[in-house]
Amino acid sequence: MTSATADAPAIRTEGLTKSYGRKRGIIDVDLEVRRGEIFGYLGPNGAGKSTTIRLLLDLIRPTHGTASVFGHPAHGSAVKLRREIGYLPGEMALYPRMTGRELFRYFAALRGMRDLTHAEELAERLDTELDRPIKALSHGNKQKVGLVQALMHRPSLVILDEPTTGLDPLVQQEFYRILDEVRADGRTVFLSSHVLAEVERVADRVGIVREGRIAVVSEVEALKRQARRKLEFHFDEPVPVEDFVRLPGVVEAVPDGRVLQLTVEGSVDDIIKLASRYTVLNVLSREQDLEEVFLTYYAVPESEADAPADAHGGGGA
Amino acid sequence: MFLRTITTKTLRDGRRGLLWWALGLIGLTVVTVAPYPAIREMPGLEDLLEGMPDALLALIGETDLLSPAGYLNSQLFGSIVPILFMVYSVAAGAGAIAGEEDNRTLDLLLANPVGRTRVVVEKTLAMVIGLALLGAILWVAIYLPSVAVDMDLDPAHLAAANLSAVLFGFFMGGLALMIGAATGSRGLSIGLGVAVGVAAFLVNSLAPLVEALEPLQRLSPFYYYYESDPLRNGLDPLHAAVLAVGGLLFVVVAVIGFRRRDVGV
Repeated sequence: MTSATADAPAIRTEGLTKSYGRKRGIIDVDLEVRRGEIFGYLGPNGAGKSTTIRLLLDLIRPTHGTASVFGHPAHGSAVKLRREIGYLPGEMALYPRMTGRELFRYFAALRGMRDLTHAEELAERLDTELDRPIKALSHGNKQKVGLVQALMHRPSLVILDEPTTGLDPLVQQEFYRILDEVRADGRTVFLSSHVLAEVERVADRVGIVREGRIAVVSEVEALKRQARRKLEFHFDEPVPVEDFVRLPGVVEAVPDGRVLQLTVEGSVDDIIKLASRYTVLNVLSREQDLEEVFLTYYAVPESEADAPADAHGGGGA
Repeated sequence: MFLRTITTKTLRDGRRGLLWWALGLIGLTVVTVAPYPAIREMPGLEDLLEGMPDALLALIGETDLLSPAGYLNSQLFGSIVPILFMVYSVAAGAGAIAGEEDNRTLDLLLANPVGRTRVVVEKTLAMVIGLALLGAILWVAIYLPSVAVDMDLDPAHLAAANLSAVLFGFFMGGLALMIGAATGSRGLSIGLGVAVGVAAFLVNSLAPLVEALEPLQRLSPFYYYYESDPLRNGLDPLHAAVLAVGGLLFVVVAVIGFRRRDVGV
């Protein structure tokens, strides 16, 4: 990349819009992804995550607005930019009759790259089957091959569309470690996901997209502080609910005999300390799921009414 | 080594198919050429052919069925060979871009630093190389048996006939590639490609009989493939050029169409 664009963000979109008839597509997406960060692009399926990504890669062209990568227009500099980009498509298909190893050799050749040690290393870490035809691989194994080809040339920008679909938890952990290393290397990761916990685990910042619009862009830490959790305590005897309700962050408390269900915003520290005064037989914790996060962002603020139907109104944030 | 470029990788993908095509062609030519001496000597066949109505002979496109060139034209180059070359190249042309799109591998391919022009050009090259291999195989598969049965064939004219078939394939494959690259639909590309090929064949062979079709004959690629009779006269440079330039034009339009559009949604 030229020095003139050395301080340009990894990704910038302005009013990026892609219309496909009435429902799908994205509307007025403004994003800025900084160099060296892991940016989580979070949204339910069909929200427009893949559309945004495919615009960045110049696979499709915007109806309005612009997208640039490292300060270069996504459309005008597509081939040059792709040297710097590694991409894992969302609904990916690999060449079924090739083996993983052959696929890496092919793409390495198209990149004019000879050294495949990094590919081998990544494949090893993700426990990837390299010598069987891709059509004989499980979904998870195909996904691993896709991940390795996206990372093997040490791209400055890694764009991953739903990268952990089909991966088993151990492999996921290793994959997250690899992403941490990519960031430590000063490189940038843009990953889409519909799983909040995943984005929380790996990303520095998150953009939430819903029905084609950016609902919010936030530091993951801030999102975490706001995120609500459901806690369910099983005590050996009924406990005084009022004590819990008084604690900061407790949004709702529902006692049911010896079971107490709490909805909590922010830290759970005080609650745990209070609960520990009693005999706790069991405690279940559940992250707020994505739908609930969206409801938080779309609900009328401070509204007492717990009416999901209203949450859809309004549109953009 | 086959994984170095899009062209060689595409050929590698098609290697098994090409092998079957080659075996099929060899089988076809052997069963066609081997009985030639027996047919030529068949008593009364000549008289029978003499008595055939001109219209029927025109439909076959050949009036001298017992000469080596006449026999091969009627049995191979007038019908089955161009049909086979058309099928091969329409499949290759439709598979080039629309095929990768259908298989959802195009996103991944285009994530590499290769431009869309390069993808079309390399895929075209793979199609042309495949066709050229088929043409060469066909030449061997006809020439060797013809020598064995003492058939008096000019190897250069035989090469001209095969080259004409290759060019016809290039034209039809270019058309299919263009449709596939511009629309992303493999089905449309194959359907239209085959439809145009069949229409070209019918127009060319019916034109001498149906007056209304006569002005259309020169629009048919089949006319440029066959009408100059390359097996007897060698390659007609003008007719060959029409097919080659036509195919190239299709490829150019394929590039333009492919560069402009959204890829596989």
